[in-house]
Amino acid sequence: MVKKQKAKRAARSAPSPGANQRTYTIADHRLEKLDISIRQVRKSGKVSYEVTGDLSAPVPPIRDSKYLGKRQCIEIYRWMLLNRKMEAALENLYKQGKVVGGVYFGLGQEGCSCASAYALHKEDWLGPMIRNQGSTLVRGFSPRDIMMQYMAKAGSPTHGRDASSHFGDIKDRNVVSPISTLGDLLPVLAGVALGARLQGRNIAVMTYIGDGGQSTGVTYEGLNFAAVQDLGLVLFVENNLWAYSTPADMQFRVKDLAERAIAYGIPGVIVDGTDPCQVYDAAHEACERARRGQGPTLIEAKMMRMKGHAIHDAADYVPKPLFEYWRKRDCITRFENYLLNVKKWLTVTENRELIAGVDQQLEADRDFAVSSPMPEPESAAGGVYCENGCHEIEPKYAMPKSRKGSVVSAGGKEAAVHLR
Amino acid sequence: MPDKKIAMPQLTYLEAIRQGIWEEMERDPTVFCLGEDIGIYGGAFKVTDGFIDRFGPERVIDTPIAESAIVGAAFGASLTGMRPVAEFQFMDFIGCAFNQIVNMVAKAHYRWGAPAPLVIRGPSGGNVHGGPYHSQNPEMWFVHAPGLKVVCPASAYDAKGLIKAAIRDNNPVIFFEHKYLYRRIKEEVPAEDYIVPLGKARTVREGRDLSIITYAAMVHIALEAAETLSAEGTEIEIVDLRTISPLDREAIAATVRKTSNVIVLHEHSRTGGLAGEIASIINEDAFDHLDGPIVRIAAQDSPVPFSPPQEEYFLPQVSDVLREARRLKAY
Repeated sequence: MVKKQKAKRAARSAPSPGANQRTYTIADHRLEKLDISIRQVRKSGKVSYEVTGDLSAPVPPIRDSKYLGKRQCIEIYRWMLLNRKMEAALENLYKQGKVVGGVYFGLGQEGCSCASAYALHKEDWLGPMIRNQGSTLVRGFSPRDIMMQYMAKAGSPTHGRDASSHFGDIKDRNVVSPISTLGDLLPVLAGVALGARLQGRNIAVMTYIGDGGQSTGVTYEGLNFAAVQDLGLVLFVENNLWAYSTPADMQFRVKDLAERAIAYGIPGVIVDGTDPCQVYDAAHEACERARRGQGPTLIEAKMMRMKGHAIHDAADYVPKPLFEYWRKRDCITRFENYLLNVKKWLTVTENRELIAGVDQQLEADRDFAVSSPMPEPESAAGGVYCENGCHEIEPKYAMPKSRKGSVVSAGGKEAAVHLR
Repeated sequence: MPDKKIAMPQLTYLEAIRQGIWEEMERDPTVFCLGEDIGIYGGAFKVTDGFIDRFGPERVIDTPIAESAIVGAAFGASLTGMRPVAEFQFMDFIGCAFNQIVNMVAKAHYRWGAPAPLVIRGPSGGNVHGGPYHSQNPEMWFVHAPGLKVVCPASAYDAKGLIKAAIRDNNPVIFFEHKYLYRRIKEEVPAEDYIVPLGKARTVREGRDLSIITYAAMVHIALEAAETLSAEGTEIEIVDLRTISPLDREAIAATVRKTSNVIVLHEHSRTGGLAGEIASIINEDAFDHLDGPIVRIAAQDSPVPFSPPQEEYFLPQVSDVLREARRLKAY
């Protein structure tokens, strides 16, 4: 009897499904749904992070791609290897004292960087973040370019003027240089899509934000602007659980960052960021949507940053079980196994040759970068302004069509002016 | 001024800016406008009134209230070869987009060779009783950011020529329109195409005794003071800087060499103001020609107060110029 009354009360107070309730869908392509939380706990006077939740699940398989064939999968796999091995080479160069400043790693995130950028067409644009060095490789920069950036060499893409992944190319590779503050690429990439649309083209523009970076106000401004204007922004929210030393649970209250998409009125998708096939499929579908002029997509890629924020950071604050869990889900190990043993698209010999080819390329690039000169001190001068014809400004896609209309300028309304 | 004998219409400062942007949009299909309430409403001050009817909502874009998005999107579009003109409803709100402007846009060409041919324009300045958030002169924040050009016109003729030059420039230009001048000054402005080059000052009034180096609304304060001083036998030379970054060093040194007495007059507050920079330039380029100290007249170091008597106290007045000019002349 009491139970019945309680149930009645609950039915009265709970919102009834139907006209007053809305439902939203977030597509979740993962084969495994990790449910953990990371909290600050005090133990014998010391505060540290503790992870709660089940970390014992078996490693999920790679999900077959709806779009990728053998050749493309092998290409992505090679980019991922190049990405990881290049960063390993950078770590060695750092230890040899050849790197100026720090080194940033995308360890554990290579599948997300490489497979996402792989979905872009030549006329599309990319705005990478610090851990997306793999994306810039896919976009046509070489390991030597990136190595020279880290060593502040004259021949680096910025000629020594900026570091790490802070470089771009508006002419051939359509890459916008990131800056250190987070979220600022979002409105910029939206603007690139706007520029292209004014020139009669709907293109895909891809950029990334992290679980930390998405906390910034400009992230909201940029994505909302893209949503309102139906601009083809493909936003990867790389939820790698750590923003420098702050866990994702201290950045936001939603369960999944993909839920944010609902608030922008755009599609939200969740993928396993360590599965290149899931990443590619979501990226491809979002890019196609962008090219149809249907607006932005938010894709949350779940994974973990497997090193510290940068090379100086040992990441001691990360609970060890988390590393163990994600190490078993390493994107390269799993994709290699998928290609060799599941799909049998690569033989052991072919794989060995592929790896040797990557090593050779990196060795040559490393030697080139190391032996290349530092910039002359005076090269710090000049170039603050675009002057003396250093750049021609012309529409990249086509001259925009201008609307025919009356040439008479109306206007001159005097009434109702704010602050006379 | 062109010497063609065509009827030159009388235009307000605002109408001159409006005409300048309009002409550039007619001339160049890569020019487009974005900002808050600029479309059907025509902008808070009606600078883009009628634009949406002529150029369509594609090229006259009403944006969300999101200044970082406005600047970011303008920059992104400029990377594809467009020439965006972004309106700020009030330049006081430019702080919201500060990071995009100084870290993303201003550094782009130096860091990675990306030109950013965009204009950020909007009303600035006081004397309209707008209070602390509708009266500011935030131009110095950007003078200290290499890579930007900062333009502040004082006349309708210059306003039209400078906005056209700004739109054609391959660099990011912050274009501070003075809202006090919008409808208060009117002059003959050619209906045809002309530009006023960025980075060049103009001698508004010739004089032998004392130079006032200034810009924007303060030019008109200086002119008024000069009339009174002329009656006293002191002839003032007034240099309107027009562009305050990069500064026209030549023009600054030339007027000092001519008059040997200098007042720098500006509407923004004193500490860290442009007068300090100009004094240093004079120090470097024309020190030997000085007959007395470089005098600065500026707003006090405070936010812009709202109530008219307080705002009058805050802003440099003709009486301040008269007092300082007489003092300097007697030095």
